[in-house]
Amino acid sequence: MNILETRDLHHNFGPLKVLFGVDLQVEQGERHAVIGPNGAGKTTLFNTITGTYVPTSGKVLFKGKDITGYPPHKLARIGIGRSFQITSTFTNLMAFQNIRLAILSKDGIRFNLFRRVDRMKRVTEETEEMLRRINLYEDRDTPVSALSYGKSRALEISMALATDPEMVLLDEFSAGMSKEETHDAVALIRKLTEGKTVVIIEHDMDVVFNLADRITVLHYGKILATGKPEDIRNNQDVKDAYLGDLEV
Amino acid sequence: MMNKTTRIILWMIGILVLVLIPKLFGVYYTNMVVTFAILSVFALSLNMLLGYTGLLSFGHAMFFGFGGYGTALALKHIGGLGLLPAIGIGVLSAVVLALILCPLVVRVSGTAFAMLHLAFGQLMYVLALKMYRVTGGEDGIANFPVPGILTESLKNSPENFYYMAMIILCLCAWMMWFFTKTPFGQIQVGMRDNANRIDYLGYKVPQSKAVIYTLSAMFAGVAGSIYGLFLNLVSADGSLGIVMSFVPIVSVMIGGVGSFFGPILGVAVFKMVDELILRYTESTELVMGIILIVVMMFMPMGFMGLINLLKKRIKAWFVARAEMEKVS
Repeated sequence: MNILETRDLHHNFGPLKVLFGVDLQVEQGERHAVIGPNGAGKTTLFNTITGTYVPTSGKVLFKGKDITGYPPHKLARIGIGRSFQITSTFTNLMAFQNIRLAILSKDGIRFNLFRRVDRMKRVTEETEEMLRRINLYEDRDTPVSALSYGKSRALEISMALATDPEMVLLDEFSAGMSKEETHDAVALIRKLTEGKTVVIIEHDMDVVFNLADRITVLHYGKILATGKPEDIRNNQDVKDAYLGDLEV
Repeated sequence: MMNKTTRIILWMIGILVLVLIPKLFGVYYTNMVVTFAILSVFALSLNMLLGYTGLLSFGHAMFFGFGGYGTALALKHIGGLGLLPAIGIGVLSAVVLALILCPLVVRVSGTAFAMLHLAFGQLMYVLALKMYRVTGGEDGIANFPVPGILTESLKNSPENFYYMAMIILCLCAWMMWFFTKTPFGQIQVGMRDNANRIDYLGYKVPQSKAVIYTLSAMFAGVAGSIYGLFLNLVSADGSLGIVMSFVPIVSVMIGGVGSFFGPILGVAVFKMVDELILRYTESTELVMGIILIVVMMFMPMGFMGLINLLKKRIKAWFVARAEMEKVS
């Protein structure tokens, strides 16, 4: 069953057309990678799915339900999380507070003005548990602005996952990471997303072919091919358009 | 750090000092402490927006003024009204104003938010001048009755007024402090840092802002209401004007944006400068201006930042000395 589907999705920025009829299909429980050259519209596709933009035309379906144009907080509440290509954390807050905000949202604690948050035992425990899983427990009281790049990226990804979404979209999680950091991040994602549907945008082909169950190739606002990694690797169109000189 | 017993003892000493002030220092200093407390609550309410949510308002005095006018009008026109209901009416009018404005203002931020408040603040100021039948125009509303809670009137007993005002104001300050510690307080600082991510985590940004905005207006209303009662006068220039909007902004800036107690420290500096400078010259604004410039240039985190820095230095010095002793 498809957990996420886009139907004939178009998006324009003024006169500039970015997406021309994208029909993306993501199956429940799979790790799906969206790849394509720069400017193919990958991030725009993510943004139209996750409510940053309302698509010019077309539909977005989540578990068969029309969610086109839902604002981000509504999507978060029905189980769609996302991380950002450009790290988007709360830089003046501690690592602990960052994760705690995600945990509070997961537990539905939003307008509580009558209890101290540091006395909420369950929230504190869950936050500490998450910090241990992502190896940031020692840095719990470090402001995020003082964390290393790799660690702040790990925090970025785990904030999206700490809200416990059914489906999570990760926009170039390995952007700017060293080889080792990328390796750790892949392991982290494998660990944290068990049983969840994951959609990633990725440039690093090692990561894509290592992590993805299925791949969609986007080329100038259209889907060029969708399929299993080996099918994509052998697809002549994809080779011509994108993979061509890459050794994969 | 501090254990429970020392903390309780410190609290007791603090409360004792506050209780004894009118007995020990006489009317002049008692009244000074009341003004200080009123302005502190006003500055704290502004800091809820500026420091904790990142919204700069150039028109916060309108809530202060609405609190004052609401209370004064209620006491003037409703015979036999008690003190607390009168304060309640003042606060309610500030809250109603905030509720009317918030659908519009929570959708903007930054410069637009600041300028919108400048406009609304000035509008309220001009309205207060023009509707002189209701508001008394430039003269404002004076000589309205100030009923006591246990006594007949608070007008001639600054001591009783002091206790009434301090109980309410300290309670307000405590509530504002408590809010910063709740989950909602966390969402608030999250919005200041990165409103977009707060949205993606599943929180409604405009609605959350509206709640903070209304709470902030409420506390400003309390301060304004007590200020009007204290002076027994509410006027456009004294309570609603642009000057009253800038007093808390300057206090917050001098004291330290983003720290809870910074604004109180800022008001203290403000009052002290006023008190000391007035003995030598009339131009207190000049001195305040110079202080503000120095603070902005050399200590962007205000006096609170300076204190924290000194704390760190002293701690480091102690650690270094302890290590030296160990070596020798």
